[in-house]
Amino acid sequence: MSVKAWLKERFPIDYDKFIEINENIFIKEPIPIHMKKWWYCMGATPLILFTLQVLTGIFLAFYFVPSPEMAYESVRHITQDVRFGFWVRGLHRWGANLMILSLFLHITRVYFTRSYQKPREINWILGVILFGLALTFSFTGYSLTYNQLSYWAVTVGTNLIKSVPIIGHSLLVFMRGGEEVTANTLTRFYMLHVWFLPLFLVFFLVLHIIVLRLHGVSEPEGFPKGKYFPFYPHHFYKIIIATLFLLAVMSALSIILPPGIGLPADPTTTPFHIKPEWYFYPTYRFLRMVPLKVGIYVTAAFLIAFTFWPFIEPLLSKKNSVRRNISYGVGALTLIITLALTIWESLT
Amino acid sequence: MINEENQKRRSFLKNFGIIGALLIAVGLFFRDLWLYLYPPKRKKKFHKYLVAKLNSVPLGKAKEITLGNDPVFVVHLDQGYRVFSGICTHLGCHVRWEEEKQRFFCPCHKGVYDKTGKVISGPPPRPLDQFKVEEDKNLVYIYVETKTRGPWS
Repeated sequence: MSVKAWLKERFPIDYDKFIEINENIFIKEPIPIHMKKWWYCMGATPLILFTLQVLTGIFLAFYFVPSPEMAYESVRHITQDVRFGFWVRGLHRWGANLMILSLFLHITRVYFTRSYQKPREINWILGVILFGLALTFSFTGYSLTYNQLSYWAVTVGTNLIKSVPIIGHSLLVFMRGGEEVTANTLTRFYMLHVWFLPLFLVFFLVLHIIVLRLHGVSEPEGFPKGKYFPFYPHHFYKIIIATLFLLAVMSALSIILPPGIGLPADPTTTPFHIKPEWYFYPTYRFLRMVPLKVGIYVTAAFLIAFTFWPFIEPLLSKKNSVRRNISYGVGALTLIITLALTIWESLT
Repeated sequence: MINEENQKRRSFLKNFGIIGALLIAVGLFFRDLWLYLYPPKRKKKFHKYLVAKLNSVPLGKAKEITLGNDPVFVVHLDQGYRVFSGICTHLGCHVRWEEEKQRFFCPCHKGVYDKTGKVISGPPPRPLDQFKVEEDKNLVYIYVETKTRGPWS
């Protein structure tokens, strides 16, 4: 009996149908012609990076110990003792940074090509949720290293939650596993980082891709409409090349700028220079400029407007050209403010 | 014709180079991950440990001492001193010295070793482990592995 026949008996699936579905869904997926340009075909970058993050994360979990006594020591052990530990940790750390960067670029691209317009509003919102999850991933991730910066980032970050009206205090106690930052906080953040967030992210990612596939990739203005090429081989190989390129970049960065370990967490001394990671700079700078309550309400209002922009934009005008100009204006302004706050914060 | 040949050779070399480099890179990637998972074998270090005075154990007798939590037997034989680990090589129970029968006996599964540590009967797969012994100025030393205590060792 041939292997194929043996397998067919054990898994009685209609193989021809299976191959047909695979051909229709993956191999022959119609990709719009503009995606032959590198500039427009990088939407899969965050997905590639997420896959690599899962891989390197699993590898880090082989040595990481989530307890206040051992967290810092185990990160030190990985970085300094374990063979290629600095590299694996470097890949994970740089992967996280590149992930945020690629999401930022992806969102900017989607915004300025106005791909969020009807009927793709829901996918924009799913994308915003995914971006929020990625930021939470990063925050919980660098909190696990349990050095001075990560300890105080957790303290400050969870204190911010307290300002949320009505449920703030309960949320704080829930996040910290008590009133103070303790071992409970560390295990909670660890649980969030390796179980809760990956599950949620995969769920929303699958939804994001399903909605994308149902509508097809949006075709930006200025390209010939209705011209497609199949997913395989052109786009498939582009993704492979992008993966190899990203790995090479991450490897190089890990060697040139290896991850540090900082000073061990000291709950009795707040360091002089405490800053979050660069992707929180705009929010951080803004919150430092204005009273806390104002800062939180304005940030919340911005987030709501940002999330529901595909529904807000059509209300602004009936003319497409006016709507487009408003969108470009708002987008450009947001971009300039974000960049300005980031640069300002990094210089101070 | 010559041009075509050159072209073929050039594209062959190009593909060979690209695919070769790619395979090497992928190979190194997985090799490094493999090394990451397997902690390197450390070279064992030993130090001398005093177990008896030369004449303190009469011929044909054994003295039991403990090393950490483990029993160790210092046996005085015709050939000199031998020092055995008291851990049964079967499943790790502690053996006892039976002087009248000149043997070691493991109560767990009735493993029996003679006075030189060889298995006489029972399930033990190999003789009792022995320490390297050194007699120096009326004293008997054994070489004990130096173990540092830490979370990673």
